[in-house]
Amino acid sequence: MARTLLVALAAFCFLNSDIQAETIDSVLSAENSSLGVTKQSVGLVDDMAFVRRASVDLIGRIPTLEELAEYQSWPAEQRRDMLVDKLIDHPRFADRWTVFFADLLRLRSNVTGGSALIAHVNRSIREDLPYNEFASSLIATNGKAGRSPEVGFILGDNADPLAMASVTTQVFMGVRISCAQCHDHPFDIWTRKDFYSVAAYFGKTRRYESNFTRVVYTSEGEQTSVLWPPQDEAEESERKAMIPSFPFPMIDAEEKPEFIARYEALLKKKAEALAAVDNSPSLDDLLAAADGKVEAATGSGVDVAVAEAREEISKIDVKGSLYKRSEYRELLADQITSPRNRLFAESFVNRVWHDLVGRGFVEPIDDFREDNPPSHPQTLAYIADEFVGNGYSFKQLVKSIVQSDVYQLKQVPLGVNELEQEELEAAFLATPMRRMLSEALYDSIVTAGHLFDVKYRPGENERIIEQEVRVLLAAEGQPQDLATADVQDLAGAKPQMTNQAMANNNAGGAGYKLEEAIELDFDALLEEEDEVELDRMVAKSQEELEAERMQMENQRRPRPGMQYETKVVQRTVDDNPRFSSALRMATPAPVGHFVRVFGQTSRNDLGDIRDDNPSMRQSLMMLNGRLTHEASRVGTLEPVSKYLVSGKLQVEKAVQLVYHEILTRDPSADELAWAKELLAEAKSPQAGIADLRWVMLNSNEFRFLP
Amino acid sequence: MACKDYKLSRRAMMGAAGASVFGLNIRDLLAYSSVHHPATAEQVILFWNGGGMSHIDTWDPKPGRPTQGEFNPINTSVPGMQISEIFPKLSKQMHNAALIRSIAGTQGAHGRASYNLQTSYLPGPIRHPGVGSVVVHELDNNSDLPPYITISGQAPQASYLGQSCEAYYVSAPGEKDPYLTFPEGITQVRGDRRLEQLAKFNQRFLNKKNDTRLTSTQTAIEDAVRLMRSPALEAFELDKVDAKTLERYGDTNFGRGALMARRLVERGVRFVQVNRGGFDTHSNNFPAMTNHGEVMDPALASLMEDLSESGMLEKTMVIMLSEFGRTPRINDNAGRDHWASVFSCFIAGGGIKGGQVIGSSDEDGAMPKDRPVQVADIHATLCHAMGIDHEKEVMTPLLRPMKLVDNGVPVKELFS
Repeated sequence: MARTLLVALAAFCFLNSDIQAETIDSVLSAENSSLGVTKQSVGLVDDMAFVRRASVDLIGRIPTLEELAEYQSWPAEQRRDMLVDKLIDHPRFADRWTVFFADLLRLRSNVTGGSALIAHVNRSIREDLPYNEFASSLIATNGKAGRSPEVGFILGDNADPLAMASVTTQVFMGVRISCAQCHDHPFDIWTRKDFYSVAAYFGKTRRYESNFTRVVYTSEGEQTSVLWPPQDEAEESERKAMIPSFPFPMIDAEEKPEFIARYEALLKKKAEALAAVDNSPSLDDLLAAADGKVEAATGSGVDVAVAEAREEISKIDVKGSLYKRSEYRELLADQITSPRNRLFAESFVNRVWHDLVGRGFVEPIDDFREDNPPSHPQTLAYIADEFVGNGYSFKQLVKSIVQSDVYQLKQVPLGVNELEQEELEAAFLATPMRRMLSEALYDSIVTAGHLFDVKYRPGENERIIEQEVRVLLAAEGQPQDLATADVQDLAGAKPQMTNQAMANNNAGGAGYKLEEAIELDFDALLEEEDEVELDRMVAKSQEELEAERMQMENQRRPRPGMQYETKVVQRTVDDNPRFSSALRMATPAPVGHFVRVFGQTSRNDLGDIRDDNPSMRQSLMMLNGRLTHEASRVGTLEPVSKYLVSGKLQVEKAVQLVYHEILTRDPSADELAWAKELLAEAKSPQAGIADLRWVMLNSNEFRFLP
Repeated sequence: MACKDYKLSRRAMMGAAGASVFGLNIRDLLAYSSVHHPATAEQVILFWNGGGMSHIDTWDPKPGRPTQGEFNPINTSVPGMQISEIFPKLSKQMHNAALIRSIAGTQGAHGRASYNLQTSYLPGPIRHPGVGSVVVHELDNNSDLPPYITISGQAPQASYLGQSCEAYYVSAPGEKDPYLTFPEGITQVRGDRRLEQLAKFNQRFLNKKNDTRLTSTQTAIEDAVRLMRSPALEAFELDKVDAKTLERYGDTNFGRGALMARRLVERGVRFVQVNRGGFDTHSNNFPAMTNHGEVMDPALASLMEDLSESGMLEKTMVIMLSEFGRTPRINDNAGRDHWASVFSCFIAGGGIKGGQVIGSSDEDGAMPKDRPVQVADIHATLCHAMGIDHEKEVMTPLLRPMKLVDNGVPVKELFS
């Protein structure tokens, strides 16, 4: 009963969208009228606020001075569109949205196949792989971890059919059937049998691990592991193999809405184009070529040719039998990603909309059900249909949202009460206040502080660090060469900091490990033949960690018969701080890391959402952390330094530049006066600018989007 | 900082509205049976011994049996109660402590068992919070210091109880937390001036925009500054402790951890977890346990002595847990392997009547003999002592009601 309703509602929507609208805004405004909304929109943000908002949202950091100058040089009536095009083509676009997909798919670089999958996601975004194809391959692929990066998706849950039933439906359709694993769904129509019928698609898939090489791969077994009735409801002998079936509503086969026709036409065109260029060898071609080689060879050459041919064929055999295709999962993928499955496109559109506009049509974003309808079903259907009609292009989707008026709305003005604010935001007539994504906040501080590059000349930033050195005393009581001694920072890298790369990095930053970002090399990860090895190194078991810890303790313990001496030595380092992008670091970051403290989840649990509440730990990290400190300090190679030369001091220009760099706007007259006063009180202009920048980086205005 | 301030996110509120639409009253969902009883404890020190600590070589010796191994039992300050000889000093404090010798665990793998012992739940689709997060979620903060502090290792995550119930992490006792002071090169005067200017700057912004999120960020800054300026921070500074005390606890990471835990509870911190690893003794169990004894004995004994002398023990529960025990059988590598069927724990203070033993294991220390105690019963007991209703339900952000403890029953004999 409920399902027919949903289908009817869906059918109603597409009919309407066809008549009404050409843009998101016109559909939305018509729908608002039909919903009886009488309030007016609060208006659009100015150009400067737009460039800041769009840059943070699309490439995960605030704009630089050069980017601002370029933007302002463009004709006023075109500059927003030009900016959006530029940002979507920016190399950081894929990095920024990898974070979005990493949250959605619970990507973890420390699970088997995880790093390769992250790299694959990044490349798919960069190349704008159609979302349906992308999703399909995640659902259906069998293969070796790392080599076939897509299998990382089901390996993330150990290819467990019950887990995969929950994951696939919640991630790709925004439907929560996981509760139905143990009991019929309390808030929804899904039964336990529905759940098991979805799990059955994964029933024959197995996770294999070679004992010898520790290579992990997935393939198909003969028997399904999903039986009905469930274990707790029946005797073992009564339980039978569960037949897979798809309990979700689909648009009837007889109907052909306009967007499906458009999609199919697109598909046809693409297939034709592909056929024209596709000359890669098929299996038959390879066999024929092998035969040819044998025939062509004469005399002693025959043996060699036969051997070669055999080798080629055996390669094909090994590949073919090792990773059997999963027919069940291919079937499931086809149904989930079908244009006739509205939930697939709508749930995805809803997530992207939520991310960019600050509020989904359906909230919570992964809870589509009859009793939780979208706030604006026609608008959601319109955007989703366009998404399908455009061949599931992610970049196109983002572009259409960011170019809409809704995205460009201001926040509610001062004096609007909370109730009215909620009304305006619910009708998409004002934009909610959004805090930057933790990764974007990190990268924005790095950008504002010129920390992606070196900002001091060599030698300008030398400092002395103290290290505790344990020296082995030789038999005569003479210390050995320091180079072979057991060196340890005074603050010491602790074995609990599991990420070894992180623990070893940055000589000057002892004690501040939780603010470092070590970038993964995505391209290298995809090229790597045996990426499994890397996975294994990262994914250490508790026992391995324990063993390492004990080993470290043992090393510290003096070996019998040896004598040690502990010395504190001083060492001069040229400490030119540089920071990498948090968008590309191994995920999830360690507990307590900057990006975790600001909301990145552990990505362990399905449906985990980022907590964007403020906390004391966040404040401590911002107030006293190394990142904000280094970003505040003024480097001689920075643009602002030219205004701070003694004798040629240009305070006003310096303050103006700092406002542009950090807040993407001009200072008001009051602010200018305040900043001048702040500078006058400081020991030096550089120190004054550092104080000003520190205040701005720590401010609410910086971390919340305009 | 009080965890009770944890607000429902917009998502949760939207979800709540959704749930009420089709007839389920939110108040019904949130309702719970409130069984009030006076708290006997206000604070907890939890020693977490990772790896699975041998029960036979610590709290549950089996003299005369082949499973006993290399250690002899010794008498304690409680007639009839014997513990392993690796705890000579602690044996004189046992009149202040109880032992449970009949914990019936079910999990024999490190990951699942640690999860179980730290949260009372088994791993599943939802991550459950650790017991420390539960305590600070339910009780007000009495101190400028964070209410929940973990030393020498990470505590379990707070999960659906929210970020404000996460433990404050101290990587090693006595080590300076760089985030509690201004960065290097920033004087007190300059730092204070920056803070003052930041408040002004944020106020100006607030005058242009009104949003509750802006004020709560300001509150978080004020909390941080209060902590930075708090005299209670001296609890972290072990270099101010006299040499004799340090020596009494032992000049080890664990000794300093125990000492710091004492100093923290003295300043009102609700829950302190002190972590130690190296108990996974698959080989050479006995030298390893000798070493553990040498480290743990002076620390625990001094802690018990100091807490009971100052009267703090009356309101401070001290409990030592590990994910499981170890096999009665000694393997070919002179080690013991994982054993979950029965193991023991040390529990004292905060209303626990000292000098008693709850339950027992069979003659070889292989199975519970009488009064089996389930893992969740330990968490229920801890909540009971703190005056927290362990059956209370809290809502996850996805609106699933979850009990604070997974169906445990308090071991009431401990309190009589």
